[in-house]
Amino acid sequence: MSRNAWGSAKQREYWFVPGVIAGGIAIIVIIATAVPFWALSDKPIPAKVTEDLPPGAMQAKATTACLECHEARIILQQRLSKGAWTKEVDKMVKWGAVVDANDHDALVDYLSTNFSPDRPAYEAPRTAADKGTSERSPGKPSK
Amino acid sequence: MLTWALPLPQERGVEVPGEDGMILRSFRFVDLETPVEYFNTWLTPVPHFFVRNHMHEPSELNADDWRLTIGGEVEKPLTLKFADLSKFETHAVVNTLECAGNGRSLQRPQVPGIQWGKGAVSTARFSGPRLRDVLQRAGVKPSGKHVMFRGLDEVPGKVPPFIRSIPIEKALDSDTLLATHMNGAALTRHHGYPARALVPGWIGAASCKWLTEIKVLENEFAGNFMSPGYRFPNQPVKPGDAVKPEDTHPLTALGVKSVIAGPGDAANVKAGKVVVHGAAWAGEADVVKVEVSTDGGSTWAPANLGNEKAHYAWRLWNYEWKAKGGDYAILSRATDSQGRVQPAAPVWNPSGYLYNAVDQVKVHVA
Repeated sequence: MSRNAWGSAKQREYWFVPGVIAGGIAIIVIIATAVPFWALSDKPIPAKVTEDLPPGAMQAKATTACLECHEARIILQQRLSKGAWTKEVDKMVKWGAVVDANDHDALVDYLSTNFSPDRPAYEAPRTAADKGTSERSPGKPSK
Repeated sequence: MLTWALPLPQERGVEVPGEDGMILRSFRFVDLETPVEYFNTWLTPVPHFFVRNHMHEPSELNADDWRLTIGGEVEKPLTLKFADLSKFETHAVVNTLECAGNGRSLQRPQVPGIQWGKGAVSTARFSGPRLRDVLQRAGVKPSGKHVMFRGLDEVPGKVPPFIRSIPIEKALDSDTLLATHMNGAALTRHHGYPARALVPGWIGAASCKWLTEIKVLENEFAGNFMSPGYRFPNQPVKPGDAVKPEDTHPLTALGVKSVIAGPGDAANVKAGKVVVHGAAWAGEADVVKVEVSTDGGSTWAPANLGNEKAHYAWRLWNYEWKAKGGDYAILSRATDSQGRVQPAAPVWNPSGYLYNAVDQVKVHVA
């Protein structure tokens, strides 16, 4: 019978039961603690510096046409009708956005579907805290 | 499981050097809103002062290389170095600067533009030479009726440059500045280093940043940011209706407005004494009264106005409310020295400018 690092075949049988128990406990501990460790971490999740446009057939073309000049948040925060989006796209084309004439209507559809007036408002992130400034403005009424 | 009881980790803010806990409306171009809970100091610390950019900030700014030209309808065109500005008498003005689009997100139907909440407004002590003194050095010709400002903003694509003009009367006002300092320190990059126009009491867009050219004109500057940009309908508009350009006029001075800084909207507060507080401003006029309603607008009581005041600056105000348990809509309403009163409903316009409806927060008292 071959030997390995665990010792003899007989020894392996002795190790089997406690090994399974220990392994099971280890898995349970990992599962039980993984999320709490993450949740209790002092290091908060970093906010995205710039946003992306939502998935869709026009995502890539909209990214090229619009985000050359400004970031996606300027689009993500709008809640406009199709008519208003058409005006915006036409203005931006005049201002240099490269949109193929064949893509114009699809781009308006993409924007007016994803950023229509009935959608909930975009939640803007905050910039990081500057401790010195925060201490000077403690959020209390001025006397 | 244990995780259900634990709070989710806080999102770490986006690093924007020199800025503190601001609402990030856009990173590129940088547009930062002041959270209303910061409206608790008469002068806004610079890291809490809202930032509005229409395009890229200048990539290179160096006071030694900076030049300001003054030309157009003048007797003697000038080119000034930064050091030349300190040879003029320095004047300081405490001014509440507000973006014309502040409150745009509250308009219905929604309109395009940066979706500012209530905080595209802040107050600082600006200082630098008077624009009047610089213009007088150049000698304004009688034909000069408007003064144009051009900044060093870097223009993307074919976007029209950010150039605007103000009438000569406002340019020659003794409080209109070429500001080099803010709250006693040199302007920061976000606020127009090394020098900006400061047109007190007017919409923020009048106060051009990174100033590089001043030109005296016979007529209002003709460009996108004068028309169709920054114009207001001559007549009330039905919400959602289009307005013809010829039925509009350029925006100038700010309206009368108050905002509640605390308690915050949707706050839970303890029954007893609750201090409702905020800020109120009125452009070129003075705030004479702020009233607070704790019953959704049925009855109003006067708030105390803060001692710190200056002609173009906001007044902080507070009101001690003896709160009993329940749910409340708390309102604030300012009145100014021109007799203007904050309207109950917003005055809708296609670009969402000058939102100044009575402010409101909802509060639960337990």
